[in-house]
Amino acid sequence: MSDQSAPSRNGFFLRAERITKVYSDGTVALKEASLELRPNEIVGLLGENGAGKTTLTKILSGLLPPTKGRVVSPKGAVRFGSPREALDFGIGMVHQHFALVGTFTAVENVALSHERPFRRIRIEETRRKLERLIEESGLRVPLGVPVEKLAVGEQQRVEILKVLSRDVDLLILDEPTSVLTPLEVDELFAFLRRLRDQGKSIILITHKLKEVGSITDRVVVLRRGEMVGDVKTSEASVEQLARLMVGQEIEKEADAVELKTDEIPRAASRREIDRSGDGVLHVENLVVKGNTGETAVDGVTFDVYAGEIFGVAGVEGNGQTELVESLAGLRVPVSGAATINGENILGLDPRQIYRLGVAHIPEDRWELGLVLPFTLAENAILGVHRWEEFRGPLGLMRWGRIGQHVRRLMERFDIQATGPNAPAKSLSGGNQQKLIVGRELAKDPAVIIAAQPTRGLDVGAAHYIRQTLVEMRDRGRAILLVSADLDEVLAHADRVAIMYAGRFVEVCPPDDLDRQRIGMLMGGAAGRETE
Amino acid sequence: MSLNDILSLLRISLHAMVPLALTAVGEIVGETAGLFNIGLEGILLLSAFGGALAAPHGGPVVGLLVGMGTGAVVSLVFAVINTYWKGTQMVTGIGINLFAMGFVAFGLIQLGAPGFHDVPKAFELTKLRTPMGLMSPMIGIALVLPFVLYWFLRRTRAGLMLKAAGEMPEAADVAGINIHRIRLVAAVFGGVLAGLGGAYMSIAWLGVVTKDLSAGRGFISLACVVFSGLNPLLALLGAFIFGFFQALAEWVKTLPSKPIPGEIVSMLPYLITLLVVSGAIGRVRFPKALGTPYKRE
Amino acid sequence: MSSVESSAQSRWLRGIRRTVTGLHPVSESLLAAVVGLLVGAVLMYIYGFDPWRAYVGLIKGAFGGSYELASTISRATPLVLTALTFSICLRAGMFNIGAEGQMYMGGIASVLVAYFVLPRGLHQIVGLLFAAFAGAAWSLVPAFLKLTRGVHEVISTIMFNWIARWLALYLAIFVVVDPRRPEKTLSIPISARFPVLVRGTDLSYAVFVSVAFALAMYFLLWHTAIGYEVRAAGLNPSAARYGGIRSKRTMLLSFVLGGVAAGLAGASIVMGLPPTYAIYGGGGLPQLMNLGFDGMAVAMVGRNHPIGILVAAVFFGGLNAGGRVMQFYGANPVPLEMVRVVMGAIVLTMSVPELIRLFPMIRRRGEDLFGILRRARRTERRESA
Repeated sequence: MSDQSAPSRNGFFLRAERITKVYSDGTVALKEASLELRPNEIVGLLGENGAGKTTLTKILSGLLPPTKGRVVSPKGAVRFGSPREALDFGIGMVHQHFALVGTFTAVENVALSHERPFRRIRIEETRRKLERLIEESGLRVPLGVPVEKLAVGEQQRVEILKVLSRDVDLLILDEPTSVLTPLEVDELFAFLRRLRDQGKSIILITHKLKEVGSITDRVVVLRRGEMVGDVKTSEASVEQLARLMVGQEIEKEADAVELKTDEIPRAASRREIDRSGDGVLHVENLVVKGNTGETAVDGVTFDVYAGEIFGVAGVEGNGQTELVESLAGLRVPVSGAATINGENILGLDPRQIYRLGVAHIPEDRWELGLVLPFTLAENAILGVHRWEEFRGPLGLMRWGRIGQHVRRLMERFDIQATGPNAPAKSLSGGNQQKLIVGRELAKDPAVIIAAQPTRGLDVGAAHYIRQTLVEMRDRGRAILLVSADLDEVLAHADRVAIMYAGRFVEVCPPDDLDRQRIGMLMGGAAGRETE
Repeated sequence: MSLNDILSLLRISLHAMVPLALTAVGEIVGETAGLFNIGLEGILLLSAFGGALAAPHGGPVVGLLVGMGTGAVVSLVFAVINTYWKGTQMVTGIGINLFAMGFVAFGLIQLGAPGFHDVPKAFELTKLRTPMGLMSPMIGIALVLPFVLYWFLRRTRAGLMLKAAGEMPEAADVAGINIHRIRLVAAVFGGVLAGLGGAYMSIAWLGVVTKDLSAGRGFISLACVVFSGLNPLLALLGAFIFGFFQALAEWVKTLPSKPIPGEIVSMLPYLITLLVVSGAIGRVRFPKALGTPYKRE
Repeated sequence: MSSVESSAQSRWLRGIRRTVTGLHPVSESLLAAVVGLLVGAVLMYIYGFDPWRAYVGLIKGAFGGSYELASTISRATPLVLTALTFSICLRAGMFNIGAEGQMYMGGIASVLVAYFVLPRGLHQIVGLLFAAFAGAAWSLVPAFLKLTRGVHEVISTIMFNWIARWLALYLAIFVVVDPRRPEKTLSIPISARFPVLVRGTDLSYAVFVSVAFALAMYFLLWHTAIGYEVRAAGLNPSAARYGGIRSKRTMLLSFVLGGVAAGLAGASIVMGLPPTYAIYGGGGLPQLMNLGFDGMAVAMVGRNHPIGILVAAVFFGGLNAGGRVMQFYGANPVPLEMVRVVMGAIVLTMSVPELIRLFPMIRRRGEDLFGILRRARRTERRESA
């Protein structure tokens, strides 16, 4: 499987040995992952969502302790109790969500990391040092402006400068190009190459295959917490990497290969779907802006017809969240159109949208889907609490009837709880999600929007929910399935769209794609975009 | 209104400004770091009381120190509950106020006092003779301190750390700052200043302790903080403005012919506060993490 | 999980920990009440009083006889309402500290019934309506300031408390003053008074208003759709939005209801408190003073639930009534103000979240220490994680 490169002349800088990380809720983020970092080298850390890339680097940079395993330097084992200790050692991390204080200027943000609390901050000195750094690195940034007013690319440069100003030997960048324009990406990469030539070690976390090819010396692939590949970039092909990333081992027989992946049987619809005219859900040229003003959805057009599951696959962060939010009444789009059975849904509030026959299984069940301190019964009517069947004379809530409703849901969806009056937070993640699914499906919707419906669930619960969606599809509903779990989408969707950088780069039945091509599309490597 | 009257008004305003300025500036430090202490009222009361009790035994300076100590202790309790123990800042503050109201009233009764307790003149902080009349030296401190803190917040790394802790604790954490510890220190510092303000009221200014001596000054200080946008200099200005209206209310009451009833005038400081806060809010921006306890990951 | 020794001792300890952490929130209130009383006892002791006698006197004065009970309930009546002000708004996610001021305005408004004549039942209802309206109006201004200018409701409601105090004083002294006895306002005419419920006490029918309102709030919050929306928006605004709930509406409703509650509290005093059925201007409205803040303590101890508030109000009412007796009880009686000290201590204790969970945490620290020592003593046997 892996191809250990020969050790470089200068030995290694740091080595992670068999790192395992299990979170307090039981999630296994890393399983015996090992990684060696050498000077004069840019390592690409590749993998899908949840592969463990961020976790591994957080452990390396001192934000998290490993559950098992250790980190070793040429001098022996090292332990970083805090990010500062890692910084002192020479490891600096540029986070995906910048650790910058918005109201501070670039100079102030950098000054924050330096010693001696009560000394008058030598603003001038820090500024001069920063200017020198800017000269050397070519990362231009206005120094006197509050960071929150800078463009995202500039903010990232501040973050990098902050780390550089501490003279690090290992620089970790977490998905740095996701917020950059192509020109900025080129500049960044030129800078990284210079750093590498100076002897630094660099880790670049990314899911973009093209990037890996263009800048890295070595590629390490993580999948579901395990190290599945460690190859020299020059010796690997994009296809190979794609396969590693999405879980197909390199096998000679193409057929047997399918069985190596998780056992999700194909559940394609046998029915003929009438795809004439607009779909039950019709979206045209939808443009949505994200929280920081950037364009998250960049002109998306598609239809979801009755009796089909339309899957949207892709790594998270490519606009899926904003797409769902705009269709569910939680975000107002910039332009475009979206209708349900001909009626416009853009700009409406959620309750109005639900009344049009829409169910929304939200991607964040704690933030959006449930009011955790509420009981099951109270959560089971969220969004439909004003419906007549739940209310009696004088508009009083009929808790008896609601209780019956919940009990029926519990039975049908096998929700394990002590009763309708159990607080929602006492349920396991799987049962919580089943509650949400049950609630939404009980609306008897025409359209179901399911965003990351099986995220964080155990196999049994995930399987159950997928089956339920298939069932609904067979009953003629239109289902929009948005998921970062590629296997899930491929196995259940009748048509798949791969979303990358706010656009659908391919829309077709899943049989038309082989996994390798999918991997490439998800990584932006083969861009044939739909309009 | 004669020149004398104007000077008199000015003098009283400056005196009234002191507890507001001190408390507000102290709270600015606390809020910059992310803690919202609504219990200032209680701290003022308790330290006024404590200081008044201590002054006869050691002199006015000791009284002031005791006041500061009282403020420190109370805000330490507040800070521990709301940082390490992740408590609800609002409820803690309300608890402090209730407790203080009762305790001071209780204590006054204990002293056999009929609702108020005089600090013997001999133990009051001596006032200085100035062209405007007798003025307390504390006014000088209240005028200078905001400038010092302004410099401190803006120019030292500690000031940066405070701001970072209040604005984006995650960034500060990554920079190696202990969020809980820094909030604790900030809160205690605020408590010390509020304690000084409270003790000032009983020892250096009014010379008496009653069970509602604070008269909402803790809350007016909070309004001052809002008005100032966490800028100590603006807080000083605000404190003066509010002090002025308080002085005005008092002065109008002393007029032989009462053009406006005292009660209406007494409303003025609070009305003005409200107006200023309503107007100022639009352009003011608070630390993003204000009021929320910090949990790593 | 580290290996667990199943010695009898650690099993016993684990059982305690499980019991303690699994307890109902009611126990937190009880625990806080106990702590508050202890603090009071300690202070009393320091000042040379006998806490035991004091508390005996307190209990006797609160629950010792029918007169005492009536006294307790009478004092509980306005507390229920001002507590509801705080609690209803808290359930909606807001901090309404303005019960005090809203109550003053309600009280003054109810005095207005003295200006006209109406048949008995109607007169009282009108008085209540005036009070409710005044309280709601006083509460709505901060609400609008929050909605339109983003003014933090804590500061605005507190400012309004003080403004109300002076405004009410002014009105009491100059506008609705009794011309024959200028130290008080006009008295509520007999047709508008709440008759006394238990002869010889100051417990009036106003208690029914109080209880009825509390029950109404319970029904509203837990048995109507709008109440459901209020609670949801208060607990998780994002999820509420997902559920199609408009938080502006819930917020305004909660402030209106809160203001009504406080206004009714004022009315219950003015229209229900013998013998004068008026407000005394001198000394800053002594009959009404501090009922707003005490109400907050009641709300917290009552876990912000109408039923809990009813119980907590009786407790605090008892503290007040008993305190009145306690200050004359025995050779060295404890002053009434100690009661407020106890109240404050209770609230402070309640502000520590999951108070009960702190004990296991402390115990766990001790356990860790113990474990380290144990491991140091064992020379072999590495712990496998």
